[in-house]
Amino acid sequence: MSSSELPTKEANVLRGHEGAVLAARDNSKLSSCGGDRQVFYWDVSTGRVIRKFRGHDSEVNAVKFNEYSSVVVSAGYDQSVRAWDCRSHSTEPIQIIDTFTDSVMSICLTKTEIIAGCVDGTVRTFDIRLGREISDNLGQPVNCISMSNDGNCILASCLDSTLRLLDRTSGELLQEYKGHTCKSYKMDCCLTNTDAHVIGGSEDGFIYFWDLVDASVISSSRAHASVWVFVTIPEVVNYNGYLHMSHF
Amino acid sequence: MDSDEEDFVFYGTPIQREEDVTSRKKKSIAEAAGQLRSVVPWKQEVLDDEGRRRFHGAFTGGFSAGYYNTVGSKEGWTPQTFTSSRKNRAEVKSQSILNFLDDDEKAEIEGQSLGTSLQFDTFGFTSAELARKQAEKEQQDRPSAIPGLVPDELILPVANSIGVKLLRKMGWRHGQSIKDSRTNSLYGALREARKAFLAFSSGDAEPILSQFELNKGDHEGDVEPSADGDVYASQSTPVFVLNPKQDMHGLGYDPFKHAPEFRERKRLRVSGNREPGNRRGSSMKENLFSSKSGKIAPGFGIGALEELDTEDEDIYASGFDFEETHVQEIEEPSRMLLEDKKKLGKTEQGVLPGFKVASTSDYQLERCGPPVIPDDFEPYHKFSAPLEIGNKLSGPPPPEVPPPEENDLRLLIEGFAALVARCGKLFEDLSREKNKKNPLFSFLDGGKGHDYYARKLWEEQQKRNDQTKQQVYIKSMPNEQKMTAESRGKILGERPLERSSKDSSSSVVSADVIQLQFNLSDTFTTPASISEFPEAAKPFKADPEKQERFERFLKEKYYGGLRTTHSGGSSKMSEADRAREKLDFEAAAEAIQKGGGHGKLTELPSNQQFWASLNTQFTSGGVEQGKIPQGEEQMINKMYPKREEYQWRPSSLLCKRFDIIDPYMGKPPPLPRAKSRIDSLIFTPDFVKPTKSEETAVASTGSLFVSKSEEPVITEQKTSQETAIEPNTTNVERPVDLYKAIFSDDSDDEGESSTFNHVEDTEKKTEVANTTLNRLIAGDFLESLGKELGLEVPPEAPITINKVGISASPKETISTSADVKIPSVSDKPSSTPIAFSKPLADQEAPNCNLSHPEIIGERASDRNELKEAAARDFGNNSLVIASKGKKTKTHSRRDQSGRSPEDERSTRGSRHHRSLSSTSSEEDETTRKRSRRHRSRSSSSDTDSDDHGYRKHSRKSGKRSSSRGKSGSSSSKKHSKHRSRKEESPNRSFRRGSGKEEHSEDRKRSRKSSEREKDYSASKSDSHKKYR
Repeated sequence: MSSSELPTKEANVLRGHEGAVLAARDNSKLSSCGGDRQVFYWDVSTGRVIRKFRGHDSEVNAVKFNEYSSVVVSAGYDQSVRAWDCRSHSTEPIQIIDTFTDSVMSICLTKTEIIAGCVDGTVRTFDIRLGREISDNLGQPVNCISMSNDGNCILASCLDSTLRLLDRTSGELLQEYKGHTCKSYKMDCCLTNTDAHVIGGSEDGFIYFWDLVDASVISSSRAHASVWVFVTIPEVVNYNGYLHMSHF
Repeated sequence: MDSDEEDFVFYGTPIQREEDVTSRKKKSIAEAAGQLRSVVPWKQEVLDDEGRRRFHGAFTGGFSAGYYNTVGSKEGWTPQTFTSSRKNRAEVKSQSILNFLDDDEKAEIEGQSLGTSLQFDTFGFTSAELARKQAEKEQQDRPSAIPGLVPDELILPVANSIGVKLLRKMGWRHGQSIKDSRTNSLYGALREARKAFLAFSSGDAEPILSQFELNKGDHEGDVEPSADGDVYASQSTPVFVLNPKQDMHGLGYDPFKHAPEFRERKRLRVSGNREPGNRRGSSMKENLFSSKSGKIAPGFGIGALEELDTEDEDIYASGFDFEETHVQEIEEPSRMLLEDKKKLGKTEQGVLPGFKVASTSDYQLERCGPPVIPDDFEPYHKFSAPLEIGNKLSGPPPPEVPPPEENDLRLLIEGFAALVARCGKLFEDLSREKNKKNPLFSFLDGGKGHDYYARKLWEEQQKRNDQTKQQVYIKSMPNEQKMTAESRGKILGERPLERSSKDSSSSVVSADVIQLQFNLSDTFTTPASISEFPEAAKPFKADPEKQERFERFLKEKYYGGLRTTHSGGSSKMSEADRAREKLDFEAAAEAIQKGGGHGKLTELPSNQQFWASLNTQFTSGGVEQGKIPQGEEQMINKMYPKREEYQWRPSSLLCKRFDIIDPYMGKPPPLPRAKSRIDSLIFTPDFVKPTKSEETAVASTGSLFVSKSEEPVITEQKTSQETAIEPNTTNVERPVDLYKAIFSDDSDDEGESSTFNHVEDTEKKTEVANTTLNRLIAGDFLESLGKELGLEVPPEAPITINKVGISASPKETISTSADVKIPSVSDKPSSTPIAFSKPLADQEAPNCNLSHPEIIGERASDRNELKEAAARDFGNNSLVIASKGKKTKTHSRRDQSGRSPEDERSTRGSRHHRSLSSTSSEEDETTRKRSRRHRSRSSSSDTDSDDHGYRKHSRKSGKRSSSRGKSGSSSSKKHSKHRSRKEESPNRSFRRGSGKEEHSEDRKRSRKSSEREKDYSASKSDSHKKYR
């Protein structure tokens, strides 16, 4: 998600971060992370920082709320994923997952799982219910993962300019989407609300749309003058009209 | 009196006399009164007003037997209980107030509620419902031609509601208004209207009319036999009249559905048409149309001859007039309406009633066309991108022009061009505007230097464009700044993600593991694809057999795996042939590989197939690096994604926050334990029955080779005896045995005195045989173990030493005194005497196998647990010892063999044990503590000290120096002792990593071997005795 998803009118400026800021939003709270190795937990209405979670040894790449907004999970360059407690006043992480061997770029949370994409080429699923870690090695650095809306698949954007669609249950590679450029930076990818199309960003500023099933490039459009970073699809159906993108 | 009485006249019913009250009651009252007065309180009885006893004695039921003071049930006020089992689900009880009400209360409540009764069914709903039900019932009784309920649903018996009935009785008829508003004044108009109506509705509205007239007929018949006999239903309430379908539209088709504006027009027109005058006066067109209208079939469009200009009015629509009239009737005076209508008809169509058409209308319907889109409009959002590269670039580049002579001007132009190129055309415009008067900027307007400027600008733009190195998306975004991922990354301070080094190396690192897996797969699966090498990869096409071999060779070369037994050639071939062929193959393979490198990738497809097939069987796989250089990429792709699963422990708090039950229930993770093969080995059960090996050894008279040859036998026996327990293959078992033999408890042989008498001459031989056997096996095992642990395995000790040692041992026992002295010298004088004082029998036949200590030593050294210091100590000790007695020879020899460090400790340990067994002194305690860690080692030391003969009994302290190895002289008693001695077990467990298993195994083993052992040890001790 991007901060651009916030209301178009600037209601509040949340200051405090240096470096990149990514935010995950639930209704009233918001968390952000950045290059300052901290995760901030904001109160949206007042614009105050409720808590600052320190502990990452390097910049934080992604942050997400869990289902109940009780836990903030952050992924950092320090090869770890940390879960922070929003309920208690503790600023210590609830848990540190450091089985990664490289920078963790992206995380997804389900009700029971933490899924993280890592530059070491793995997409790791931590099933809290089963107490299992499932590591799907893609062989290529993963810089963004995104879950399909039905929760059965994971779309992983790899640094070999390929999006890979994985079956979560079996770890099978279902499809590969190519055509765009993604070689060195984090490019977002996601699926449309109907799971019919795959959307991915390209380093040349294009947005690519692929058909989910036959992996053909349906359209690619020049979205930004600059390299674009984020794609978020709101709940509303028509993605064409509602693509949210941030640009520079 | 009688007469008096007769005079009385009685009115009414007499008041009940006192006597009529039930005698019982009366009695009770009387009694109560009496008792209260006379009887002492505790003898009084409590009676209710009926005279029944209320209180009873305990034996007669206590207070108020029966449910008198309860709710009337046995349970009384006992609260309800809830039980629900899997089989007997509790019903969900919904309680209502009715559950708690008595009957009378219920009745009361019911009285308050309102319900309809059939009698006053004002609207007839209830009766209709009833009638329908009745009909349904009947329907069921009599079979219908049409199955199902359809006709009954469609056709309902009609029951008039009470209201209607009442009205009827009062003279009302259907269609009449209820108020009596008939005024004669209206009658004329009504009649007229009716006539008019009849007149003009004779055309298309005829059926309706007829229906209407039916209604009217009703009125006439029933209500209006009156003067006129001609009553129009003008004032009646509207009757819902079904409009019979008269047109030929489809059911539900509404011709005005999408053009409601025509509906009104049509309606008006039709109504206007009904005006007789209008009708007559209608134009020829209309006549034509209307005459035709009946013939125009809906849905068939309008024919070429038919008029279109009258709009597509619905000529079929009908019944509007009726509705209209009704509506207007409700609104009131129909007369007015009719008159209006007439007027309307005369004036104009399309005018609402009550309105007049304006004489002059300046209103004109104006259609608004879509706004004109300017030519330069672009339906994209333009980000404020300053560049106009696209436009400029699209055109041909301006011609190269020499710069103007003036240096200033040239510089200015160049600088300006760069600026414009950076900031966009807007800047140029602005500055042009600004500097109109400035001659210096005349180049902007086509003055001097304009060409140069144009060229320069173009160049600058070109340059900038090149910088971005992006294709210009001319069409949609002609003016945009190009930002590369790099620049963005720079802005954001992002680091380009680098491929994890591990990524590439992982396959290398894990190559071994993968290879292992692969080998497995290779042994179990035959990759069919391998045989299908492309033609190019078949250098031995001529000789299919050879080709086959070659392929096999290739397979093995590239994929590793277990060599087939007949690898490298057919059985017919000689060794030399095979070798030659192999060379051939090597060359051919290389050639093929090179060919592939040139782009043919000849063997690739098969490779890939193979890998793919492999991949399906093993989720994780790897690439053998280097061997398959081409197509590696693809292959990697094929390999991925691979899935691995690990255990992962979510923290309990995390589970809580995720609202998930902790899968590990908050149990802490188990201590990380190095998983080595040893662990698994320990679990593999037991152990050759030592007697067997012993026997065989005896039979073989102790030669090394023979003993070795016995191994199969041993294993066989093992398997036969313990198949149930041992799932492992025999070659795994062997080390297990050994291991146990080496490290299992041996300890004191208390019980061996009983077997003391048995003497066997062959003892020595068996000893030798045993030791050699053990040694060999142990050597094997330890070597492998050492390899596995990554430790250096010291070279095997010369066997001769063993032999010497063994042979020496009995003799050594002779020198008990020396033996005893040694310890005293070295360390603990206190312990020795005690040890010595132990009965001979307890002391157990010692040191049968010198080899054991060695083995242990070996092992220990493998494990590298010893410190140099210890070794040094030991050196000292050994020196001392050496000075002491003969036996020391063996000692020193052992030192030389390099297993020394253990020995030192062991000697100490043994001492400790000794002291321990002798209910040792406190210093012993401390030393014991200190040495606890090494106790396991000390066991070996015991064997060392075996030499020292009688110390053996000290070993009972739990040091089971495994010395006996297979022959291991552990007795059950011994073990029981161990068991009782709790303090020892930790040591042991330390030694093995898992003490428990070992322990139990020891026990098992001991049980099995105890018999033989007894004999053995007995003989030993015997021999010792003899010597002594």
